[in-house]
Amino acid sequence: MTRNNTKLSERIFNGKNIVIAIPFIWLLILFLFPFLIVLKISFAEYIIAIPPFSSFFLWDDTFWPTIQASLYNYKFILEDSLYITAYLSSLKVAIISTMITLVIGYAIAYSIAKAPTRWRGILLMLVILPFWTSFLIRVYAWIGILKTEGLLNLFLLSTGIIDQPLTIMNTNLAVYIGIVYSYLPFMILPIYANIEKLDVSLIEAASDLGCRPFKAFWSITIPLSMPGILAGCFLVFIPAVGEFVIPDLLGGTETLMIGKVLWLEFFANRDWPLASAVAVILLALLILPIMYYQKMQEKTLT
Amino acid sequence: MNKFTKFNLASLIIGFSFLYIPIILLVIFSFNESRLVTVWAGFSTKWYTELFNNQSIKDATIVTAQVAFISSTIATILGTIAGIVITRFGRFKGRTLFSGMIYAPMVIPEVIIGLSLLLTFVALAINRGILTVTLAHITFSMCYVAVVVQSRMSSYDDSITEAALDLGCTPLKTFLVITLPIIMPAVISGWLLSFTLSLDDLVIASFTSGPGATTLPMKIYSMVRLGVTPEINAVSTILVGLVALGVVSAALINKYQISKQI
Amino acid sequence: MNETTKTKVTPISNKKPFIQFQQVTKKFGDFTAINNITLDIYNNEFFSLLGPSGCGKTTLLRMLAGFEKPTTGKILLDGEDITYVPPHLRPINMMFQSYALFPHMTVEKNIAFGLKQDKLPVNKINQRVDEMLELVELTDFAKRKPNQLSGGQCQRVALARSLAKQPKLLLLDEPLGALDKRLREQTQFELMNIQEKLGITFIIVTHDQEEAMTVSSRIGVMDTGNVIQVASPNQIYEEPATKDVAEFIGNVNLFEGVYEGFNKTGTKLKCEHSDSFVYSSQQIDIELGAKIWLAVRPEKLEISKSLPSYKHNILKGKVVDIGYGGSFSTYHVQLKNGNMLSAVRANRERTFERSITWDDEVYLHWSTKSAIVLTG
Repeated sequence: MTRNNTKLSERIFNGKNIVIAIPFIWLLILFLFPFLIVLKISFAEYIIAIPPFSSFFLWDDTFWPTIQASLYNYKFILEDSLYITAYLSSLKVAIISTMITLVIGYAIAYSIAKAPTRWRGILLMLVILPFWTSFLIRVYAWIGILKTEGLLNLFLLSTGIIDQPLTIMNTNLAVYIGIVYSYLPFMILPIYANIEKLDVSLIEAASDLGCRPFKAFWSITIPLSMPGILAGCFLVFIPAVGEFVIPDLLGGTETLMIGKVLWLEFFANRDWPLASAVAVILLALLILPIMYYQKMQEKTLT
Repeated sequence: MNKFTKFNLASLIIGFSFLYIPIILLVIFSFNESRLVTVWAGFSTKWYTELFNNQSIKDATIVTAQVAFISSTIATILGTIAGIVITRFGRFKGRTLFSGMIYAPMVIPEVIIGLSLLLTFVALAINRGILTVTLAHITFSMCYVAVVVQSRMSSYDDSITEAALDLGCTPLKTFLVITLPIIMPAVISGWLLSFTLSLDDLVIASFTSGPGATTLPMKIYSMVRLGVTPEINAVSTILVGLVALGVVSAALINKYQISKQI
Repeated sequence: MNETTKTKVTPISNKKPFIQFQQVTKKFGDFTAINNITLDIYNNEFFSLLGPSGCGKTTLLRMLAGFEKPTTGKILLDGEDITYVPPHLRPINMMFQSYALFPHMTVEKNIAFGLKQDKLPVNKINQRVDEMLELVELTDFAKRKPNQLSGGQCQRVALARSLAKQPKLLLLDEPLGALDKRLREQTQFELMNIQEKLGITFIIVTHDQEEAMTVSSRIGVMDTGNVIQVASPNQIYEEPATKDVAEFIGNVNLFEGVYEGFNKTGTKLKCEHSDSFVYSSQQIDIELGAKIWLAVRPEKLEISKSLPSYKHNILKGKVVDIGYGGSFSTYHVQLKNGNMLSAVRANRERTFERSITWDDEVYLHWSTKSAIVLTG
């Protein structure tokens, strides 16, 4: 039995490992390590200083530093109904938005997949094009439309469909519209990719066996496009929970979303430890969906 | 059985209207004579002239352009390496962690990413400014590039790489002379994607930027908070125009390349 | 669990082998793809690795090329241990099943690629490329790109590219799979000619036994990670080592039975097909009562409507099916106890009337020299 005779040091520092190391180390330092820092600071206390939090290690006369950590921030959050409501309301908004996006997105994706082949490329490009333009700008565009004196009300009033302007701006409805609008491409693309690869002969086999088109759609197409549906839903739901810009620009006082809370704690109150604790809890809430999403992605690789 | 039905056509028309009407309205009202963004008072380009005289917007544009160019280029390099590692390097120690870190930034809320990066820069005593924004953008952009490259590599015929090795080409040279040219369209779209993400980012830039490094989205956001003015429409229209120009040229170049092959 | 499978090897000479696999095992996780294989291949051979899908033949080839490393064992090329040498440093070239032509390079540049890696002077490279283009008759296609070529043309470019560096050893991974029958047969003979002319050792992996029989000087029959038999095509066909080899190559009639000893007629076998014993002239060394099989190829089974005047090896049955193959006919005969045998006979007369037809009662006979005995 022969074994590879290279030295251990050669085996560690070979070309392949160096290539892996380059992005790996970058991400360790600038992606993973930051989460640990957030965790650490969530255990600190707010003090009036720069930076505005107490240090983790206290160096005094003893050799080993004392660790200053407190669960004050977490207690504060969990005892204050404001934060709990914010988390729950964020989840609710995200779930509802995801469902709406799913229905609209699936219809569009399905229609593109069934369109004549030469059109599909153009249609997909048209779906992606708004995504290339600024997210901020597109949300801003909706302000002009949804305002009380906005274009939507103008249109509805002038055509006589309603006689009082609708209040959409600064309500949850505006937030839903904003989220659906911004995240639609993220739902359409994975679903489209999935439907496009589906074997058409499966539907043909079903109709050959006497299945009506609508039923075939429900019992064959939908279940088989489930991977795309799940991918799209996760791509919309998870970031939507922590969404900031849309609730800030389109939402009102009744819209309590955790992304906005975090922003305010950090920028308005300068309470970095509290903001960190909010972030940690948010991440903890999302960790299961995130891990599930990762597993789905890994499966597509094998 | 797979006919393109009226329902399909209706879905597409409604869907695309939903997607495009806001943008079209935005562009139209950037040429509005009056200050209101909802009542048309006549055609005028005065908001564009005001825009060109606005120094803070011009500064923000320069910052944004610099950050976008540098971060997308570095992100493309790192992301391409990452994408190839994920698809071609098989099992290695820490692979699960690595792939987790690649896919996570696409789903983690931006406020969390922004906050964590800012706290890290403070902890490492790096002053916030153009450098930190660039580092932040590289970090999340590279993950998108990795996904694009990984998707391309999964349909890449690996026996081409093996053929090159078999004919005596070293692994590094094989990558540069064989693999890279073949996947170049994916790498370029990765670059364009990073560029757009950087150009567009508000939340992460707000956390990680510093004095003197205000980006265009940050500037636009502060303008929006103060009230809606057509100047914003003007900036938006220019950006939309540039992007549309970019996408259309990319599509034309693509078509030209395809026709050259035949 | 590394049991050494007994490989029946028919030695060809006392020369030193050119390629040696020494106790090579390859595991993918729990799955053993290659099970302790020891195999010698000699210079100038056209050697085939033949077997069903999943038998490990491609894995063995890839280990030789350097794309897989053995879990244990050694591989030697011309006496040198190349087990851990990376593929770009091995003096071996490979022709890939998917051709693997570089899509962004012309035919010329594809063929020149390997030569460029050796940093040969430009005029030498051009000369060699022209030679190769002539060899595969693609001189007019030099400036085309792969997407402008037909399947057969791509295959020839792949061949030219793999021969350009004049390797001592050429590996071919199911190179003819994508071609239609006529082109395949034509290319088989072209490959044989090129191999002889250039004096290169060829190792080809194929699941097509007709192909292996046509082109090879020796065949290595593989199954589930083991090499079952290594011999010339003739020997493999007429003297298969096991039931599996006999059934894999061509068609065969197998009689299962019990060893009853050896007498002047031959090896006696008591089997359920007939009331009397059946015989083979082959001698074997095994205890009485052991289970053995008698194998007779269909073309060696004589079929007739009248009782033949032989003393042994006669069976009676009914023709239930006839397969017409143009130059020959296959008769499927069902015996009294239900078993089916097949006999093949050349259609020597140009007539539309069959002398033997469906539902006929027929006799089958074979000479003791035509049957071989298999123990497993």
